Amino acid sequence: MKPVLTLLLFVVLLLSIRAIPAEQEVVLVVAHNSPIVELSALDIRKVYLGVSVTVDGHSIRSYRLNNDQRLNQIFMQSVIAMSEKSYERRLLSLTLKYGRPRPTEVDSPVMLMEFLKRNPLGIGYMWKSDAEKDAEIRIVKVLWQSR
Amino acid sequence: MKIVSPKLTARCQLLLCACVLILSSAAWTPVARAQSQDDLLLFLSLESFDNTSRSIPGFDNSYLRPTADILYAYNNGSFRFLGEYIWSSSESEMERFKLGWQASEKTMIWFGRFHTTAKYWTTEYHHGQFMQTSISRPGLEEWEDESGPMPSHITGVSIDHEIMQANQSALSFNFAAGLGPVFEGQELVPFDVLDPGGGHELSFNTHVAFRPDALSENQVGVMASWNDIPVISGSSPSLVDIRRIEQATIGVFADWRWDRWRLLTSWTYFDNDLTYTGSVANDDFTIGYIQGEYRQSRDWTIFGRTEIGFGEDNSPFLILLPAFIAHRHMLGLRWDYADKQSLTMEFADTSTQAQGSDHNNFKELRFQWSAVFP
Repeated sequence: MKPVLTLLLFVVLLLSIRAIPAEQEVVLVVAHNSPIVELSALDIRKVYLGVSVTVDGHSIRSYRLNNDQRLNQIFMQSVIAMSEKSYERRLLSLTLKYGRPRPTEVDSPVMLMEFLKRNPLGIGYMWKSDAEKDAEIRIVKVLWQSR
Repeated sequence: MKIVSPKLTARCQLLLCACVLILSSAAWTPVARAQSQDDLLLFLSLESFDNTSRSIPGFDNSYLRPTADILYAYNNGSFRFLGEYIWSSSESEMERFKLGWQASEKTMIWFGRFHTTAKYWTTEYHHGQFMQTSISRPGLEEWEDESGPMPSHITGVSIDHEIMQANQSALSFNFAAGLGPVFEGQELVPFDVLDPGGGHELSFNTHVAFRPDALSENQVGVMASWNDIPVISGSSPSLVDIRRIEQATIGVFADWRWDRWRLLTSWTYFDNDLTYTGSVANDDFTIGYIQGEYRQSRDWTIFGRTEIGFGEDNSPFLILLPAFIAHRHMLGLRWDYADKQSLTMEFADTSTQAQGSDHNNFKELRFQWSAVFP
């Protein structure tokens, strides 16, 4: 009876370990052939706030995922350092004042990856688990990770 | 009165066309095509105005004004385009139409019709009614057709340059030169790209701003302009003897946010030389405003503004603009009930310039719905 109980306990322990969610990370991604190798946190913030940051003389272009509220909240808090409402106002203001189009918004990680493949100067952010599904996408930086 | 010859105007138009062609061809290289990006914004508002006291000459006692401002921005590599068209129950006008070339990471050169940069409010909000907290604009910042005392539109060239410091502060410079307005009837009339005509002379503008954090909106700065304004003498009895107005302005501004508070202020000194038949009259005064805002919660903002002047009471220039808002003391409340829609209410004690120091005083009540899409 004792070995059965031990086995049962072991199975329960295993199941409980599997039930703990894997560590989550938000990453900055580019196409695998992108000239963007490294980008500081400040430069990422600049690009998403509409300030021109160039690589090889060409401006970096930013993309946003609009289907994941939690991902966007994390990105706003840890990278942009402002609320989503303030950020939206800021982008509107930059378009109104300087004619800078707002970052392109896409509906899914797959779509974001397709946009990045078509534009080597594009950057986007997504969950690491999504980024790892496509070999043509390269992770440039970890922006946030769960503790 | 000195009139720009039709030949010069035609040459300006030819130059504008050449710029469009050069910039367009640069924009359609393969690399540039891959980078193209555009944006369309629609600013909508519906404003009601009521004069709750006595009637004032030159002012409607009440009105309901729907306004649509359409803005299109296009970016393709180093090439940029910005077009803005406004339609309301009182006007329909191509506000901005400019082509830009990014000469370097920090330098942008624009050609076309744009808003003057010597007016702080104008450079911040343009016609984006939803973006400004209040419904009304300060008298100093009014558009030409709303009795604004200085030009709001120039057609020519504008250069923006920014210097970023190692401590992440930024110093931005703007210099603009182009054709300014003429004085006709009781207002300044800007050069219209869709209806070009002679008679417009040069305007120069400059604007320098310092931001302690390049990515924040807090800023202080100085602005200056020089405007040669021809006068259409036959357009109004008060203009019969006036040939031209040379206007020089210098101003300061500050826009600062502390937690829930915001302070927005701008002051401009005017030095006008009015050339009459056989004489010149000099006129100088200072006008400005101070606006305070308190964000009571995420969606509610209380605000107030005071607009006053020094030495403007007997200005021979401002007498030509009888509907100019000389003084205003205003309180308001704004409710951002949705992400991109708001309702605002304002109550103000207002005085128009009228004739001399006898300002026409009245009380105004405004309500507004404003929004931006998408």
